[in-house]
Amino acid sequence: MNTLTWRLNRNQAQISAAALAALAVLLLITGIAMAGTYHSFLRTCAAAHTCADAHSLLFQDDGVLNVVAYATMAVPLLFGLFWGAPLLAREFEAGTHSLAWTQGVTRHRWLAGTAGWALTAAALWGAAVSALVTWWRLPENAVGIPYPRFSTGIFDIQGIVPVAYSVFAVALGIAAGALFRRLLPAMATTIAVFAGLRFAIAEYLRPHYMTPLTKVFPLAAMGFGAPPATPVGSWVVRALSAIGPNGHNYGDAIQFSFMPAACRSVAQGRIIPCMAARGFHAQAIYQPATRFWAFQGIEAGIFVVLAAALIALTWRLVLTRDA
Amino acid sequence: MRTQETPAIDTAGLGKRYGSLWALQDCTVTVPADRVTALIGPNGAGKTTLLKILAGLSRPSAGEVTVLGRRPGQDAGFLDSIGYLAQDIPLYRRLTAGDHLRIFARLNRHWDAAAAADRLAALNIPVSRPVGSLSGGQRAQVGLSLALAKQPRLLLLDEPVAALDPLARREFLASLAGAAAEGGPAVILSSHLLHDLERVCDHLILLSASRTQLCDSIDNVLATHRVLIGPRQQPPAGVTVVKATYAARQSRLLARLDGPVLDPSWDVHEVALEDIVLAYMGEATSPGNSTLTAIGEAS
Repeated sequence: MNTLTWRLNRNQAQISAAALAALAVLLLITGIAMAGTYHSFLRTCAAAHTCADAHSLLFQDDGVLNVVAYATMAVPLLFGLFWGAPLLAREFEAGTHSLAWTQGVTRHRWLAGTAGWALTAAALWGAAVSALVTWWRLPENAVGIPYPRFSTGIFDIQGIVPVAYSVFAVALGIAAGALFRRLLPAMATTIAVFAGLRFAIAEYLRPHYMTPLTKVFPLAAMGFGAPPATPVGSWVVRALSAIGPNGHNYGDAIQFSFMPAACRSVAQGRIIPCMAARGFHAQAIYQPATRFWAFQGIEAGIFVVLAAALIALTWRLVLTRDA
Repeated sequence: MRTQETPAIDTAGLGKRYGSLWALQDCTVTVPADRVTALIGPNGAGKTTLLKILAGLSRPSAGEVTVLGRRPGQDAGFLDSIGYLAQDIPLYRRLTAGDHLRIFARLNRHWDAAAAADRLAALNIPVSRPVGSLSGGQRAQVGLSLALAKQPRLLLLDEPVAALDPLARREFLASLAGAAAEGGPAVILSSHLLHDLERVCDHLILLSASRTQLCDSIDNVLATHRVLIGPRQQPPAGVTVVKATYAARQSRLLARLDGPVLDPSWDVHEVALEDIVLAYMGEATSPGNSTLTAIGEAS
């Protein structure tokens, strides 16, 4: 099985290895330079109270590279499209499955061999890409301002979740290929389901993995030039919002419509003290930085379970459907 | 090595349904293990369906099937015992014939690498070019060599020569006949034309309209079928009319005989295998009868 799998997927493996090597070179060169800048900056910034400027300092010349790092978010999808979807769909389209299925190996072993290698490769490649990006972002993760590693988008390109996304995407491509037996529908399904699920989970499910914390501030915190409202590195699930005396959340901007009548006619600078005196305060809802790895674990677990379900579906389709 | 008692294939009431449509129905056939069998039928008669069931690629919806005494399925012993070549000879187009031989050697327990290499060399088939660049006839030979290298006890070939030109067809059948000679596997090969296979086969399964019409050795088929020419009257006793053609005062019956026809009003003539097959397939009779008007058929 191993030889067959290798010979049929050698091209993809070589292209992926080349892309990974290119990414590694790019990130290593810039990462080492960044680390140097960062460490020399750290030695001076504490005294000068300018540590919050580290982000702009680190990226002043590397805007494009920052985009490259974000673009690695698409890497799992590429695995799903170019490793997962063709794995079975191509066999069915060419009819070679009937050749493979009448050799001296059962379909169980054939599928375990082919899919096993694809999933393993996805996990390894995903881990390699994630390790590079995680390492590259170490200085910025340490700064934590203004983009902590916990924030949406950055959370998704480092740690262990890219490994789980990669395994899931490949499992999805394989299952779609087993279901449709055509490459294009399998690829289209892979894109749609992967993008849809990733978005839905990141947007609607992830904030609720653990009950978020609420931090209450005086309403003055919503004024201009207010200091960062939540602990450094935490993920702000709901930005600083105005809370009325009745407990109602009026959102992140103080608006004329919900001002008490008495405060509408006061001078600009007196509005906030006026509202505060009438029971208004501010609050932020956030996940603290210490939960980063718990969230990584939960999200990775979700995608690994989804991948397992897709592999079970594939197993069933391959073993029970006619050639 | 062969066990004479174990037939190559044995089916009873075998059927396969796709949705509400039966692709194969009530197929009951037994083929001894030393035969080269022609599986004949018009397009859509269920030949591919039957071969896929026999190869374990498709599960029957009804009936029983054993191949070399085993139920086709996912067990290595069964898979070792069959060789299968699908219609259109699917191969991994970017791999060479040599790649195929090396890879498949590792997927099979009784692989005869030397014989496969010798066959391809004898046929002058390039083993280091991607099979996608080979001619149809060469690809068919590569497919056959792969199937034979497994050293199967039953070789199932689905329309192997349909896409080949006459020369490649002849070469393919010649090499198949060589492989199937003494000590080789039992073979079942399908075609919609008997003409392709007549020379290499000694057994016949005829499928038409999803049903088995005939399953017998070709010798027996020839011995039991006759054309009867006689007056327009009831057919003689002891015959099953396959196809009847009537003229003004004459009947021409192609019939299966259960015994000798004793009624002297009927002339009994031998009939060619192709005519028998065509009669079962419900097609036009041979050109010799073109002056007669077909006004009715029985089957």
